[in-house]
Amino acid sequence: MEMNDIIEELKASIIEALNLEEMTPADIDASAPLFGDDGLGLDSIDALEIIVLLEKNYGIRLANAGEGKKIFTSVENIARYVCENRTK
Amino acid sequence: MATIIADCILSPLGLSASDTLDAILAGKTGLKRHAPVPGLPFDFTASIFSGEMEREFMVDGFSRFESLALTSIRKALADCDVPFDRRTVFILSSTKGNIGDYDGVSDFTDIILPASAAKLAEAIGVTTTPLTVCNACVSGVSALALAHRLLSGGEYDYAIVCGADVQSPFIISGFHSLKALDLNECRPFDIERLGLNLGEAAATVVLKADDTNAEGQYRIVSASSRNDAMHITNPSPSGEGCMQAIKAVMADNDTDIALINAHGTATMYNDQMESKAISRAGLGGLPVNALKGYLGHTMGAAGIVETVLTMHALEKGVILPTRGFEEIGVSGKIDVTREMLHTSKTAFLKIISGFGGCNCAVLLDKKEAAATAVNQPNLSSSRHVRLTPAGAFVDGKKVSEETGASMLTAIYKSEIGDYPKFYKMDSLSRLAFVATELLLKYDNGLERIEPSSRAVVFFSHSGSIKTDTEYISTIKSPDAFFPSPSLFVYTLPNITAGEVAIRNHYNDETLFIMLENKDWAAMEQVNRAMMLDASARSLVSGWIEYIDDLNFEADIHLFNKI
Repeated sequence: MEMNDIIEELKASIIEALNLEEMTPADIDASAPLFGDDGLGLDSIDALEIIVLLEKNYGIRLANAGEGKKIFTSVENIARYVCENRTK
Repeated sequence: MATIIADCILSPLGLSASDTLDAILAGKTGLKRHAPVPGLPFDFTASIFSGEMEREFMVDGFSRFESLALTSIRKALADCDVPFDRRTVFILSSTKGNIGDYDGVSDFTDIILPASAAKLAEAIGVTTTPLTVCNACVSGVSALALAHRLLSGGEYDYAIVCGADVQSPFIISGFHSLKALDLNECRPFDIERLGLNLGEAAATVVLKADDTNAEGQYRIVSASSRNDAMHITNPSPSGEGCMQAIKAVMADNDTDIALINAHGTATMYNDQMESKAISRAGLGGLPVNALKGYLGHTMGAAGIVETVLTMHALEKGVILPTRGFEEIGVSGKIDVTREMLHTSKTAFLKIISGFGGCNCAVLLDKKEAAATAVNQPNLSSSRHVRLTPAGAFVDGKKVSEETGASMLTAIYKSEIGDYPKFYKMDSLSRLAFVATELLLKYDNGLERIEPSSRAVVFFSHSGSIKTDTEYISTIKSPDAFFPSPSLFVYTLPNITAGEVAIRNHYNDETLFIMLENKDWAAMEQVNRAMMLDASARSLVSGWIEYIDDLNFEADIHLFNKI
């Protein structure tokens, strides 16, 4: 699977898992920050929900939320991590 | 004030308060590493009753949770004399009650907390309406505060207050999904702390409306609750709400207190927050201890278990060490006990914080004190909202053409629209949120109330049952075990009041009470009790119930204190 396909797949699954009802994949800038006041403004529970999503869809297990913080800087970064570490 | 005339603790360390304390003094802990069990595909450390102890507290015809509560209540009642008339109230404190016995599919009528409370009340002979406090981790202290005010305000002469919770894959998987569990024994306030351990226990106190002549018994001097109004799970980094609760309790008291018994869950955020709150309240010089290293986090029981344990330790002249604590790992300047200390003081402060932004503090002492006159507040309803699938009504007038399953989202879009967090809420929170928004939207002509002085209380029969069922579906199959952290958080129904507090910056008390039915007399008693808080001036209060998308109801008022 190409990086771009994973990015699109991730955008759609993040919107669904986090109930970002008023957003479409096109609204998410793949390189923009996911947390904090810029970008999507996600919070700590969203980060935990993304950890579940990565395990469910790609078989990636993150031991703690701290590990997630380094990867969850943008959709692009998550996609790169998925490419390198997916087990399904 | 309210005097504690009897108490009892049932814990994996002992089936009485003194047995539990003796085990702690002998260096024991209830915490044990457990291998994976069906429904929990990972190791965990928790304080769980042995099969032998379980056989001692089980009662025929009652669930494991109910048996634990009932045995604790019966033991406390055996040590005192309580009349079972209309002047005695029973208050149950629990976060999830029987949830571990529920499959997520069958009829839930007998599973939910009001059913347990009714069974327990009948078994012990209480004839008044039982109140179930379901206020996440602070439930136990919320229940003590409520009892204190119901007695001080003259609503009742006696209160039997029982806090209980048992463990199950539901709860352990939820905290695991929040990455909040330490795989090994927890280390409160320590630099190496990694999270909490869960535990099961029950504790009961029997309270009598103040009798200033009674000597040698502990009394609740003062109790208070404040909301951070910041986030549904993360506490305020500055400890604002917790500090405000401490200050409210200590305001009129120059009591020489022996210690602060903290919540001390050993999560990164909680312990840091408490250290800030204690030092900002000017109490950094006092010994602080946390008891989670002995019994884990016993949730709805914690506030009562830890209060009673601290009472019994002080009776012996000791302040218990904080098991698991070695090197300070919080930035607030506080003095956490590493070794056992000796004291002749009797007064202490219990603090506790939890999901939904709640923070509570309660001050207890044995010294005699003069009775203080309490003026029962009067409340007047300034606005009323009723919302069902048949429509939304403000003061009886229909305000939206929307009806049916999708009406909450439709009303959000047409009447509110500026709060995308709405979409992240569960159904019960959406209902509470939309109803409160309508209540406040049509509140233009009224005197503006400072947010810090407004409290929120919601009453319900089924609470979070819809979200409980949704969460169970994420943990049911061993092949698809993906517990959802966000769903789990919303299985604490008091998050509803937290959401309203966050939206409107309300810093006063938030509370969630479960009842068998929409009993306005019981609800009014609780409303009056909440308004006894010195700073509270107004109250969002009412009934919220969300069974499914075609069966829901909000019936809420905005009350002002007059």
